[in-house]
Amino acid sequence: MSKIKFINEFDKNKTFTYDERIALLRRRKVAQTEEKARAGGANEDDYGLIVQDEFHYKLKPNHENGSIYGYSAWRENYCAILKEHPLYCDPLDAFVGKGFLFLERLRPADKKWNPAYPFDELQALFTKYNVISGIDNCHHFTPDLQIGFDLGWGGILRKLREQRELHDESHHEFYDAEIAVVEAIIAFLKRISGELAELAEIEENPTLKENLKQMAKVNLRVADNPPETFREAVQWMCWFSMLSRTYNRGSAGGQLDEMLRPYYERDIERGILTDDEAVFYLACLFLQDSRYFQLAGPDENGKDMTSKISYLCLDAADKINIACNLTIRVHEGLDEEFFKKSVAYLFKNKQGWPRYSSDSALAEGFMKCGYSLELARKRVAAGCHWMCIPGMEYTMNDTVKINLARVFEVAFYEMMEDESCKPSMEELWARYEKHLKIAVDATGNGIMHHLKYQSKTQPELILNLFQHGLIEKGVNITDGGANYYNMCVDGSGIAVVADSFAALAQRIEREGKLSFGEITAHMKENFEGKDGEYIRQLLQHSERYCGGDTLGDLYAKRVSDLYTALVRDLNVQHPGINFIPGFFSWSNTIGLGETVGATPNGRRYGEPINHGANPNGGFRRDGAVSSMCNSIGMIQPGYGNCAPVQLEFDPGIANDEEGVEKMAAMIKTIMQTGNTLLNINIIDANKILEAHKDPFKYPDLVVRVTGFTAFFAMLSPEFRQLVVDRVTSVNGSKIECE
Amino acid sequence: MTTLVTDIQRFSLSDGDGIRTTVFLKGCNMRCTWCHNPETISRTPELMFYRSKCIGCGKCFEVCPVGAHKLIDGEHIIDRELCKRCGKCAEACYAEALATCGKEMSVDEVMAEVRQDKAYYDNSNGGVTISGGEVLCNLEFATELAQRCKAEGISCAIETNLSFPFETIEPLIRELDQVMFDIKLFDGEAHKKHTGIPNKTLLENAYKLDKLGIPLTVRTPLIPGVTDTEENISAIAEYISGMKNLVRYELLNFNPLGESKYRGLDKENLHESARPLAEDRLAGLKACAEAKGITVKIV
Repeated sequence: MSKIKFINEFDKNKTFTYDERIALLRRRKVAQTEEKARAGGANEDDYGLIVQDEFHYKLKPNHENGSIYGYSAWRENYCAILKEHPLYCDPLDAFVGKGFLFLERLRPADKKWNPAYPFDELQALFTKYNVISGIDNCHHFTPDLQIGFDLGWGGILRKLREQRELHDESHHEFYDAEIAVVEAIIAFLKRISGELAELAEIEENPTLKENLKQMAKVNLRVADNPPETFREAVQWMCWFSMLSRTYNRGSAGGQLDEMLRPYYERDIERGILTDDEAVFYLACLFLQDSRYFQLAGPDENGKDMTSKISYLCLDAADKINIACNLTIRVHEGLDEEFFKKSVAYLFKNKQGWPRYSSDSALAEGFMKCGYSLELARKRVAAGCHWMCIPGMEYTMNDTVKINLARVFEVAFYEMMEDESCKPSMEELWARYEKHLKIAVDATGNGIMHHLKYQSKTQPELILNLFQHGLIEKGVNITDGGANYYNMCVDGSGIAVVADSFAALAQRIEREGKLSFGEITAHMKENFEGKDGEYIRQLLQHSERYCGGDTLGDLYAKRVSDLYTALVRDLNVQHPGINFIPGFFSWSNTIGLGETVGATPNGRRYGEPINHGANPNGGFRRDGAVSSMCNSIGMIQPGYGNCAPVQLEFDPGIANDEEGVEKMAAMIKTIMQTGNTLLNINIIDANKILEAHKDPFKYPDLVVRVTGFTAFFAMLSPEFRQLVVDRVTSVNGSKIECE
Repeated sequence: MTTLVTDIQRFSLSDGDGIRTTVFLKGCNMRCTWCHNPETISRTPELMFYRSKCIGCGKCFEVCPVGAHKLIDGEHIIDRELCKRCGKCAEACYAEALATCGKEMSVDEVMAEVRQDKAYYDNSNGGVTISGGEVLCNLEFATELAQRCKAEGISCAIETNLSFPFETIEPLIRELDQVMFDIKLFDGEAHKKHTGIPNKTLLENAYKLDKLGIPLTVRTPLIPGVTDTEENISAIAEYISGMKNLVRYELLNFNPLGESKYRGLDKENLHESARPLAEDRLAGLKACAEAKGITVKIV
């Protein structure tokens, strides 16, 4: 268990450069990560969470099932946590703001949804089609931190009080909860400031003592005032992270360079900030939390937003070099030098950052939903695979998944068990279409159920405060508080489905080598035995998705077109709500695969489904990245959400300037050919195999798991295996490692 | 027009400028003992057997018309004397343990594959590289492919041993944007001993080629005990230092990836124990070449 205060740790006479402080902080972070991994780890973001033993909170339920529901219970528990939550303080750091827990996870895991609002009929369909409905999930939309920068906590409190007076009693539950929460936050921050001042008295090293004094001063200011300096703004962001995470892991991020640029330029002009200090502060920000931030990209008028601070953000990430979730938005006017620098850092550090999004594909797609180009450009990368306009949208991004492979399985066996029909590709497609529609419609109904009753389950008491116009409306974001409702509906397992259709079409209809009956018999036997394996190999070596103009590509496009049309049809069923299709699995590849039996693409029972929009392993003998990305570009649903590309490279691919140039050209091409988002891992296969065997041998090894980067040691053995399989599966077959 | 193609490798990063597609044609006029693509030497299709992929289904035994697949002491072997290279066993091998190396392809078919990556070529100054085997053994096909690439705005390069009369290859060369050629050994006798042919034509061609104004890359594969001497590298570097269009001299570290191919072809690998050169040896050879005033890269 980590200590939470580090006073008088260094000799009185020791002096520190910023780089030394960053190195020491990084070392501490790696040690803490190792502790977290030994305590069980997690298959998700790092969150900057500290595992400690000095503070534990016992949930005060308001329901007999031991859970909490509605405004008052969330308010009371959150305020109680803040009252007791101790300060984590590292005098080397420029900021405080580390958190220890998430209130949402203190609830019983199976009692998250308010039982007063059941959805049993929908649940039966969700189970049948293996749909992750998103009902009971939270956050996954982006607040606009500019609201906090403009008002400060004090300003937000005043606004809440003013608006309460303007609204009738039906809104008082909302206002009373929000007011109590903000009062608790201000009191908490003032207490923290006082404790920092006390610690400054105890600390004996003059540099660290002065730092603690400054921290106390900065924290007192940002307790209720808007931040005025660069340091205050970043401290404010650190607290926002901790406060929203502590409530319900609330996500944030935003256009980091532009958010901080006014503070940076003003402080530089006043002569109270140097670039070295700014880099140090930014490194501390990345250390505090692994939030998603976007850098560069076009402003609403198309002008590139790259500025000096964009460069400093990259330099800071380079220095701290941990799980940094930075996304560069690639567009025609992107500063070439900045882009090249980002690619150089990606290949130098091999830590999975930054990643890249495509302005053209994302903006054009979002505009097809009826939005302006200006709004489309404001939609910034803020999560694993998702974009959001800060403070304007409610999205349920990345929380809804339809297992396309399971839908295929239902359709396939329905056809095979129907004695009145002769199995054929046409018949199978018709049944797939029918079942996919049922699954998509049920998912749409689930989203509507969530919207209707989420405030009775888990109101968004923190993120509500950073939505434009919500405080004036006096309702939770799910009750009409957002300006736009752009609901994310992701399909998972597209490669499994496309390859299954292709294998059947090729081996049965085109070549006549097998029959539906033979394949079904072997699937039911999970391809056991010598004959089973022979048939499995035949199916697996059929024309695959991402092979380049193959049957698999053809079916992937058909599946994508069908899925997109069905999701968009939800807009007709539920006027006023915009449903946006995408293809992503997040880290559910294992769980979703476990529910699906053997499939006609030669996949055995329970094996993971494909990752996101990526192909199944062995899609081409040369494993050509270009072929893969061309195909993924072709199956993008095209309404502003993502079907990301995930690439795994050996470090040798770009170990000199020429190699980096080629990678830069590759990234640009991928972003210009229909793709939306690109994640890249650069990992030595031998190193990751060693780390898989002994995760603590490389405790600072960071990988991009799905959309998020994580310390490899933090992942469960199953997830480590998934990453290992991807990294060691080059050119379509297992590479030989030393 | 068709020819035997052993492989088309897209997203190739080490066969010329930018991102490329490399088209490997079958057949070579040299017999380098270290060749890491031994399946490309013969001008006829060959059967490859990757034992580690075999699932033991026995289908190859069933379909072979001459009984070339045999089980001796529990080991599956191919009687290469009996094998007629008909490809029936490879067709029946769904595990891809057996594969026929060399597929008859038309220029149209090759173009259909290579044009898929045009956007990558355009952004990276890349293109198509025609390789081998020896590309000049398929001169007519290579020339038509290069012309078609040019017509579609795709940059085209070749990797060659340049050991053909210059007048016969000049029409192809004039269609190209880049030429990469090997000088493996500067000493004529040693060259003949290790590759099967002398290097006189090659060395003369190098300067004839230089007059055409096309960017040139010269390469030497570093084969332990054969080509990796300071004397050899210095002599080659000295010889090419006068070329006006030399972009750089590449020293290709020994590539052991041919091992599995030799096993797959049941051919003896004379360099089985050879390993890539260590960093310090590479640096030493690079310095030798650089001393002649040319740009050198280790690949």
